[in-house]
Amino acid sequence: MNDTSPPVKRPGFFSIFGFFFGISAITIGGGYVMVPVIQRALEKRGWLPEDEFYDLFATAQSVPGPLALNTAMFAGRRVAGLPGFLAAFLGILLPPFAAILLLAALLGAIGDWPVVQGFLDGAFAVVPGLTAALAFNMIRKRRWTPLRAVMTVASAVAITLAGTWAVPTFFAVVAVSAFAERKGAC
Amino acid sequence: MLRLALVFLKIGVAAYGGGWTIVGIIRTEIVGRAWMSAEEFVKLVAMAQITPGPVALNAATLVGYRLHGLLGAAVSTLAVVAAPVALSLLIGGFFAKATKSGARLTEALKTGTIGLIAMTVWAFAPAAVSSGLNVAIALTAFAVSAFTRINPLWIILGSGVIGAATRAFLG
Repeated sequence: MNDTSPPVKRPGFFSIFGFFFGISAITIGGGYVMVPVIQRALEKRGWLPEDEFYDLFATAQSVPGPLALNTAMFAGRRVAGLPGFLAAFLGILLPPFAAILLLAALLGAIGDWPVVQGFLDGAFAVVPGLTAALAFNMIRKRRWTPLRAVMTVASAVAITLAGTWAVPTFFAVVAVSAFAERKGAC
Repeated sequence: MLRLALVFLKIGVAAYGGGWTIVGIIRTEIVGRAWMSAEEFVKLVAMAQITPGPVALNAATLVGYRLHGLLGAAVSTLAVVAAPVALSLLIGGFFAKATKSGARLTEALKTGTIGLIAMTVWAFAPAAVSSGLNVAIALTAFAVSAFTRINPLWIILGSGVIGAATRAFLG
């Protein structure tokens, strides 16, 4: 069979920019909320099937940076090459940038009101619970070996104690455990 | 200003594991350098999570804005995404094919990422036990996001309203 599949219409820069701009402007709650929203919207437009999206998502996780941004940039490039990549980058980045500056200006004016203070205090009180749940889920979903358990506990202690050296400590931990994994596999 | 850019560049390079890990790293770098007090940072995180967009980007923008105004906001935002954008451009599809050694690297990154998130939990845990109400909110948030698929946004907004009501009626 050598019939060519019907040419898929490539969306242009502005439609991709608008697509991600819209998602970024209305989705509150960070990467783990945004990624499923992006996936469903891409599938609905027929730009990217679900299984391909999860391949991209896995690759996006291997790069540092905000998950939602990385996923969007990879998806943008898959859909429309470099212009798509740039469109996704700007679309994700601009709405929060504008919103946060507006909010900061607004809070400069009303930030001392007790009700506003109370709201922010309440909204922050969620953070320890959310981060603990994130850690819990990462721990629950991992396939554990004794080596990984020991390395992970050591890593948690070392990074927590490292203070402003946390970033170099993180890379040291990754290097050591990559080496240990190789030895373990042999 | 240059130091602000360098610090956020460094944060961007190690920004594995999604938003909250990055917030933890930002906290360590900013509060650890005494550029901002722990209380100020807490307010900033509360703002970052009720603003649309990735929470880590919002936090980076806010820190820059607080320290150096509009220009600082632009500098910190661009610096924190510089490494991810460069790496995404370089890696692309070729990385997907290199998944053989990738599996080992993925496991090593998981080990480090759990370490980073542990640091974040440790940093924010004292806030959870500062009052009875905060203990209740933190436990609810944990239970809901660990065991249900409810959007955490509802918990965040709900707790905000509870916090505002408590302040308004009890002083």
